[in-house]
Amino acid sequence: MASLSEEVLLVVKKVRQRKQDGTLYLMAERIAWGPEGKDRFTVSHLYADIRCQKISPDGKAKVQLQLVLHTGESTTFHFANESSALKDREAAKELLQQLLPKFKKKANKELEEKNRMLQEDPVLFQLYKDLVVSQVISAEEFWANRLGGVNNTDPTLFNNKQEVGISGAFLADIRPQTDGCNGLRYNLTADIIESIFRTYPAVKQKYSENVPHNLTEKEFWTRFFQSHYFHRDRINTGTQDIFSECAKQDEKGLKSLVVQGVKNPLVDLLSLEDKTLDEGYGVSTTQPSTSNANRTVKESSNYAIIKRFNHHSAMVLAAGSRKGETPADQASETSSTDGNSRDSDFFQPPVKKVKLQEAIEYEDLQRENRPKTVALNLKKSDRYAHGPVPLQSQQYTTSQDIINSVNYIRHEMANYKPNLTQVVSSTAASSAIVALSPGGVLMQAGAQQAINQMVPSEVQGELKHLYVAAGELLRHFWSCFPVNTPFLEEKVIKMKSNLERFQMTKLCPFQDKIQRQYLSTNVSLQVSFSLVCVLSVVKNGVR
Amino acid sequence: MKLNIEGLLVYFPYDYIYPEQYSYMLELKRTLDAKGHGVLEMPSGTGKTISLLSLIIAYQRAFPLEVTKLIYCSRTVPEIEKVIEELRKLMEFYSKETGESNNFLALALSSRKNLCIHPEILHANIVVYSYHYLLDPKIADLVSKELAKKSVVVFDEAHNIDNVCIDSMSVNITRRTLDRCQNNVDTLQNTIHKIKETDAAKLREEYRRLVEGLKEANVARETDIYLANPVLPDEILQEAVPGTIRTAEHFVGFLRRFLEYLKSRLRVQHVVQESAPQFLKDIFDKVCIDRKPLRFCAERLQSLLRTLEIADIADFSAVTLISNFATLVSTYSQGFTIIIEPFEDRTPTIANPVLHFSCMDPSIAIKPVFQRFQSVIITSGTLSPLDIYPRILDFRPVTMASFTMTLARTCLCPLIVGRGNDQVALSSKFETREDFAVIRNYGNLLLEMSAIVPDGIVAFFTSYVYMENIVASWYEQGILENIQRNKLIFIETQDAAETSMALEKYQEACENGRGAILLSVARGKVSEGIDFVHHFGRAVIMFGVPYVYTQSRILKARLEYLRDQFQIRENDFLTFDAMRHAAQCVGRAIRGKTDYGLMIFADKRYARADKRGKLPRWIQEHINDGSLNLTVDEAVQLAKHFLRQMAQPFRQEDQLGLSLLTLEQLQSEEMLQKITQIAHQT
Repeated sequence: MASLSEEVLLVVKKVRQRKQDGTLYLMAERIAWGPEGKDRFTVSHLYADIRCQKISPDGKAKVQLQLVLHTGESTTFHFANESSALKDREAAKELLQQLLPKFKKKANKELEEKNRMLQEDPVLFQLYKDLVVSQVISAEEFWANRLGGVNNTDPTLFNNKQEVGISGAFLADIRPQTDGCNGLRYNLTADIIESIFRTYPAVKQKYSENVPHNLTEKEFWTRFFQSHYFHRDRINTGTQDIFSECAKQDEKGLKSLVVQGVKNPLVDLLSLEDKTLDEGYGVSTTQPSTSNANRTVKESSNYAIIKRFNHHSAMVLAAGSRKGETPADQASETSSTDGNSRDSDFFQPPVKKVKLQEAIEYEDLQRENRPKTVALNLKKSDRYAHGPVPLQSQQYTTSQDIINSVNYIRHEMANYKPNLTQVVSSTAASSAIVALSPGGVLMQAGAQQAINQMVPSEVQGELKHLYVAAGELLRHFWSCFPVNTPFLEEKVIKMKSNLERFQMTKLCPFQDKIQRQYLSTNVSLQVSFSLVCVLSVVKNGVR
Repeated sequence: MKLNIEGLLVYFPYDYIYPEQYSYMLELKRTLDAKGHGVLEMPSGTGKTISLLSLIIAYQRAFPLEVTKLIYCSRTVPEIEKVIEELRKLMEFYSKETGESNNFLALALSSRKNLCIHPEILHANIVVYSYHYLLDPKIADLVSKELAKKSVVVFDEAHNIDNVCIDSMSVNITRRTLDRCQNNVDTLQNTIHKIKETDAAKLREEYRRLVEGLKEANVARETDIYLANPVLPDEILQEAVPGTIRTAEHFVGFLRRFLEYLKSRLRVQHVVQESAPQFLKDIFDKVCIDRKPLRFCAERLQSLLRTLEIADIADFSAVTLISNFATLVSTYSQGFTIIIEPFEDRTPTIANPVLHFSCMDPSIAIKPVFQRFQSVIITSGTLSPLDIYPRILDFRPVTMASFTMTLARTCLCPLIVGRGNDQVALSSKFETREDFAVIRNYGNLLLEMSAIVPDGIVAFFTSYVYMENIVASWYEQGILENIQRNKLIFIETQDAAETSMALEKYQEACENGRGAILLSVARGKVSEGIDFVHHFGRAVIMFGVPYVYTQSRILKARLEYLRDQFQIRENDFLTFDAMRHAAQCVGRAIRGKTDYGLMIFADKRYARADKRGKLPRWIQEHINDGSLNLTVDEAVQLAKHFLRQMAQPFRQEDQLGLSLLTLEQLQSEEMLQKITQIAHQT
């Protein structure tokens, strides 16, 4: 049973798992289930192992809760208490909802990362098997310069995946459905909530302030959707609404964005005109003006919509580029500060200079000095534009053409007269045919290249793996040179012994095997011999 | 490369040249040779600016006595800065080729920085500044009046030059203006009072000068030193300032009387429209103010402000405005109209009286420029129909030419979408403006395009109000949500700072591959000043025909004037005006031969010959019968095909010999023959 020190947070009885009745326990660090009457847990998952939980839709007969683990496995619990199934499930769900995120962070990031790398890169996985699993080098050594990314030639391969941005239409995806009794149902997924939080930090803040102390999650979102904040005209947000503050904050955010101004001077409409007319001059208002003062209600609500779209798009854009692009952001910021203040009269900010240069450039008027690229050469660009199209007459022979040529050949054959003075003798002809048949003298050329046919693919694969593994080991080995620290010296010696071990445990058996099986061919051995040579050089070098 | 343009050696700072650039320089040279004015239309992105600069500077060097100065006027600050940058490039090329450091002095003026010191302007070989420095009499008087007669003046992006002229001569007076004016007059009175006690001699000296009259100015004008100021008509230069306003106190008293009269005129219940002579008669009847002192009002005020040594003239903007109005209204009996509106049409309950003194004749402001300078070049990417500009600006050009864009591949694709998929006719015309079917189909067009066009799409509406209504309607119908699945949406607002932010975000979204749509307004700041090169604008959709708001009384008066004075029919002018703005909008997306873009005209009226025929030639010639009156689906199919073709690599070799020439290719007889066909003379 559970260790004594473990704190049990929630106990739910009458929970079925694999058609067995039992009890569900939510403890401080794990969730567990034990069948009724037994004194042990048959199911136990650490929270850290759980990726997410899923629940059955409200209308369903069975009230279920599913846990999906990081490994991909899942466990389903069926809440079977007739009177309180739903309530039980909600309680478990709510508690899990609070617990899971805490443990998610704790989960071993590094392990996950390694796992991911191995999964994504089959070559690396094979290498791992060859070197670590067979204990040539320790796992630590293997990962030492992988995770750090020091020797990575292609950092993107090992870095995190590109951050996925937010769909501009995520709010549109929350299609309200009528629930049949004068209400609306909104379907929220974790992705949408994530999108809302990322796009509107103010809502996230409200969420963390209010949930679960003041409101349940459900209440929070209900209010969110009821709020004018979600609806079009944000002009009448009541004061009692918790989101009115959000609207204000957004307004502030938008204002500060506007006040910040733009970095690209070519889109700065404020400084577009050099000399506007003084007040009082000019043909005023060719169009009816809509100053703030005398807008009608409809107009200001229209204006609110427009503002909201601008704000929404800006926020979505910002949410997409917020992560991972901070250096670029900083760079542009510094350039705008060291490029000097907008109000400086004497320096042209570099941004501006660059933009102006770009604007006046006629790339085609200048001689090209770009690297030559190979252009896609389309014989028929029409076909590319339209996709596959049925037969085209000019490319294929028409039936008339075929009939004509058949007639022509028939005609030729009919008129064929063998030139008997110049025919080859029948023996010569048949020997020529033999020579040109498969296996014949003239068909021998293929024999030399047949090593890849003679050696089975498993052996080839094994050889390839050995080659890669040896390369990896050598890479580790050579990376120690020049040996100028005690640490490196130690590492060199370790690597040397690794190499020797590799030779002993991997190369030699392989060599023997090959020699035994394919004595006739020496080609495949060349690789392993050369490896042995390298190793001996290495040994000498170390001495 | 070095070019030979009819015997003139022209340094051109590129390795290759577009055929139309050569043709353009040819026409320009002929204009300069004839010492006349020219109207030249050449598509944007074909290197108009560098052609102008190269030729005129070469001309200046070859004939330093014939052309002494180039005055280059453009509209926006970025445009001006681009000119400077191109000039810099040209100068670098000169010093590289000739080996001598150039002794050309070029000067850029803008109000915000590099505020120029006046004498320098006189010595510069090239002056680059905004239109207003030449066309606005209030500024031109300070900055430009001493510019040499033998200058070449270039108005680039001149498609709206008539409006600039009109704006510079029009005045609006509100109650607020009058209140501020009242304060100004009080301040003047007090200052005069003080000075009288301390330094009465100063005022006496001024009086003496005024008796002498404005002879000095007259001498200067006759001896050809000054650019005439349209606010200061010839006749008054010969006369002394009338006695009634000669002393400072009398003048202030005069101003007070005039001010009271204006106040009384603003107390109206209904709209009043009258001519300048009617106004003068009324003012004489009511408060006994004569025409003559009114004409001297502006000059008299300047003199007074100088005498009183008032440093900050900006504080006296209201009284300056009033006195400028006084001079203008008493000087021009024609070309202006006075409209007094007690309230805005849309808000009849809120009293907000405005006196509009509107110039209806753009030629008044630009007349001194044409008269003074030997060559004035009006040029832009969109000046069609060319012949209307000489008519409304009242001048006789020696050259009028429209240049096509030679293309190795057809990189622009104008499509006229006249019907929805349900065959509903698409139009922004007044009767169907609120029609849901039209709005829905417009939305559908944008939605479909958002799915197939890469990166950026810019859509223009005919007005803010129209855009706001459509956006709200699209929002309610869920169209915008669907569009958001494809691209982010940014919308122009009437707040310039907000729009700038939206613009930058729009570009960011185009840049990072997400793609975006910018909803904008024809005649707005975006449509006039922002370029959408390459992926920043792969398609422009013009929703509706951007007619000016025709209910305005000022516009009606102007149309009447055009009809009576220039025999231009109302509809012709309105269509011309709408089409030049439409052309401006769709032209925003094509900024060169390597660029490409769709131009979608979403209104069935564009298919009519009278509309289509007013588009610039370089757009018109790509509209064929197959691209008229399309449904949304048809347009989508054509657009798909076009975009796929354009996505193919386009290299310099593809252009060479066709739309891009080496010097050798340029010199071939056959090519020179071809080039003569590029310029389309009117």
